Amino acid sequence: MSRSTISDFKVTNEVGQARAGELTIKGTSLKTPNLFPVISVYGGGRATSMFGGGLHRTIKEFMVGHERVFGGDYSEYFPAIMSSVSALTDYGLNEDITEYYLETPMKERPEFSAFDGLLFIDSGGFKFLTQDDEGQEILKITPERAFRIQRQMGADIIINLDYPIHPDDSYHERVRKARSTAENTKKFLELSTDYEAARFLTIHGYTYSMIHTYLNEFTDVIPKDTIIKSVDGIALGSLVPIKDNKGKLLQAVMDCRDVLDEFGFGQLPFHVLGISNGSIPLLAAMGVDTFDSSSYLQAAINHKYSTSLVGSVPIELADFDNCNCDVCSDDRLVDWMRGNTEYQKDILGAVAMHNLIIQMEEMRRIREIIQAGEREELVRYIDELGRESRRLRDYSHKVVNESLGGYF
Amino acid sequence: MEKTPKVNEVNEFLEIASDFEDPLEAIREALSNSYDAEASEVRIEIRTRENGSDIIIEDDGEGMDAADLESFFDLGNSNKDGSIGYKGHGTKIFYKSDEIVVNTSKDGLTHRAKMERPWDKLNERVLPTYSVSTTETTKSRQGTFIRISGFKSEAAFDPESLTYNKIHHYLKWDTIAGSTAHYFDEDPHEFRVEVKLDPAIDDSMDWLVTTNRLEFPSEQLDPGEGNFPEERMCKRYPPEEIEVSHDEGTSKIQVVGMAGGKAARNELATYGKHSAQFGVWLAKDHIKIEQANQVISSDNEFLHFFFIANCQDLELSANRGKIRNKASPVYSAIIEELDHYMSKVANDPWFKRYLEIRRLAAIERKTSDQRESIDERITSAELAGGLEPTNREELLVAWERYQQRNGEDRKIVDIDLDSEIELLFDSDGRFLPGSLHYHLTDFFEQDRSPNEIEFILCWELGDLDYLTDLERNGYQNNDIEFDFEKKRVLYGPDGSEMEVIQLSQLD
Repeated sequence: MSRSTISDFKVTNEVGQARAGELTIKGTSLKTPNLFPVISVYGGGRATSMFGGGLHRTIKEFMVGHERVFGGDYSEYFPAIMSSVSALTDYGLNEDITEYYLETPMKERPEFSAFDGLLFIDSGGFKFLTQDDEGQEILKITPERAFRIQRQMGADIIINLDYPIHPDDSYHERVRKARSTAENTKKFLELSTDYEAARFLTIHGYTYSMIHTYLNEFTDVIPKDTIIKSVDGIALGSLVPIKDNKGKLLQAVMDCRDVLDEFGFGQLPFHVLGISNGSIPLLAAMGVDTFDSSSYLQAAINHKYSTSLVGSVPIELADFDNCNCDVCSDDRLVDWMRGNTEYQKDILGAVAMHNLIIQMEEMRRIREIIQAGEREELVRYIDELGRESRRLRDYSHKVVNESLGGYF
Repeated sequence: MEKTPKVNEVNEFLEIASDFEDPLEAIREALSNSYDAEASEVRIEIRTRENGSDIIIEDDGEGMDAADLESFFDLGNSNKDGSIGYKGHGTKIFYKSDEIVVNTSKDGLTHRAKMERPWDKLNERVLPTYSVSTTETTKSRQGTFIRISGFKSEAAFDPESLTYNKIHHYLKWDTIAGSTAHYFDEDPHEFRVEVKLDPAIDDSMDWLVTTNRLEFPSEQLDPGEGNFPEERMCKRYPPEEIEVSHDEGTSKIQVVGMAGGKAARNELATYGKHSAQFGVWLAKDHIKIEQANQVISSDNEFLHFFFIANCQDLELSANRGKIRNKASPVYSAIIEELDHYMSKVANDPWFKRYLEIRRLAAIERKTSDQRESIDERITSAELAGGLEPTNREELLVAWERYQQRNGEDRKIVDIDLDSEIELLFDSDGRFLPGSLHYHLTDFFEQDRSPNEIEFILCWELGDLDYLTDLERNGYQNNDIEFDFEKKRVLYGPDGSEMEVIQLSQLD
């Protein structure tokens, strides 16, 4: 199968720098911009318990419409999911159970047969970073091992094993990591030549110059033409340390778009790894095509029930009658959210599912506005976001001014 | 038994008329009346008289019928719903006079009304009356003529107080002549205003002629030349109508304005202290009422902005000087909305660029000042024949040169100017903590502790009398002795010793 048959991305409309499009991977299409909820596919249990994972287990049950969550169809909220190679290490799993998980691709398992979305498996480099005797950061996993896990899990989108950066890394450290990532990527591209999945390349940096230097180093190892021929998307990483600094986050994404255009990668789908919910519309308006986020889960773990993308209340204060999402419309699930169930994971799992629906519905709204080419409406939407959350106000203005042509 | 509260009519008239403190408000009210009467032109003459001023107002509006005329003299009995003068308060300022004459024509009738000594009578606690006579006239004749004789203008209309320039600024700032309605109305009411002052007040022109439009300075988006390139920069922000919801329904805010530098702002009319008049103004009937600069974030100076936000749901005090419904949901909603609107302006890339140009220009000017300072310092250094320390940093350099020149065996190995112990000397492997001061006296004036200090490096000793007083009175409850022959300070009960290195005395 040629690369264009495996993965195809078409931009269908643009508003300022925001773009709507369609990402098709092995025949499965995804409208963009879109959000990939983070899910731990394997979390310490066997098939009978949906392979475990506490709260993740309940979410997986929602994903497949399991009877345990009363069989509702939530598949529209899982058009694509994000998991990670490193998730297999989160639960301290032994070798036997890891191999058990890997013996069958996820989507070929009967337990997941109802899931027909895309499976994006991140290499999870940041979880594998450790220090050698000289204090230098190295990875405690090989590209071969990372790729084997991605392949055996049956990933539709895979990502190279990378060396994430930290905000306090020196210039030389960042350059070293860029070159090491490039070496890994070279290996990754060789290993995955015959594997039918879209391949995304991670890049790292917080400013234009950092990202430019990163790609310069990278393209010294893998020529630009090779990247264009063999890579299906770009993913910007290392943003977790700055996720609470919206100004830096937006600048990093904005600068990254500029550098990608300069290097001729601007037409590739652009993914931003690991962001919080409030950032989603801002980044979509800046031209990010896909995101992954675990914030719907994190909010639930912190007992927060989302009332909008930027608003939440403690679960105890939630007015379930005020929401008409599929979770809040099911009295049995509302009962769970009120605490009337045996397991905490089910209380929080229902809340997490509600939180995810809020995010996905907003994502759909933004996508439709961009697809319709309604600049005024998108400006109004982003402006409203700043009105709803005062801490986001200056950032929403920045996005309107720098990506959507401004207010005046 | 039901009882009806009584109103002391005379006091009410007095109270309302007295609320109008500024005699110029008579002009504002006259203009508002003519505007409400759909006049296309109004002429106002102010003449100086011994017992006050005469004000003559003549417009080509639709005139008044008998009921309108009653409303003119009545208090709070306006029949002008939805207009500026809907309260029926404004014309009561005319009661501060010796005589009011009104001649008004409408629908083929001319009414002539006359009220004598209104102010005297009110002060005598008598409600003034007025006579009315009516004659027929041609249908086409319409308009109103008002003469206020002996208006109690105090000194406000004296030549020292009033000029055409001042009245122009007043018109543009406080009256319908400074209206921003034309930015929003598709079919704006054109209104020509002419004012003539008695030549005894100001003879610099025959008539002041203006319109009912406030115009912002012309746009200049790019910086100019010179030391203040930002001063004529100006951006006009287009009129915007914003609907706000609140507990009492919805209100419409009409905002228009500009941001820019001092020279651009100077092209606007002045109101009181020019620098304090900018920011955001709330308006009703498109006439500015009060500043609301709390809607501008604290990191932006209000003087860069001049925005007018009109809302007809604002309620005003009797003299229109203040907003009355500040505790209402309407007011809160307006303020909240303007706060958001102004955050957009403050984040506008043009405005940020303007601020950056202003900042860089300030740096450039500072650099120019520094150039002059450098020249002075060069001259000073030339006169001194080289480095002569004037501060601690220079003292360090001088020590280092001295140390190298003379093979001094004490070498600085650590410096921390923020510490009590600023220096560490390495003296043949022994580390000596020390203090660094331009004058030795600085050490004591700063109430430093001599404990742990083995030496003080200074340029000069400072005021020797101060040191002698220390010897006499003690320092930090201990004896102290300065032995400059042996270059040392003895301190405390056991006579701990600190070396004094006076660099100016070394070769």
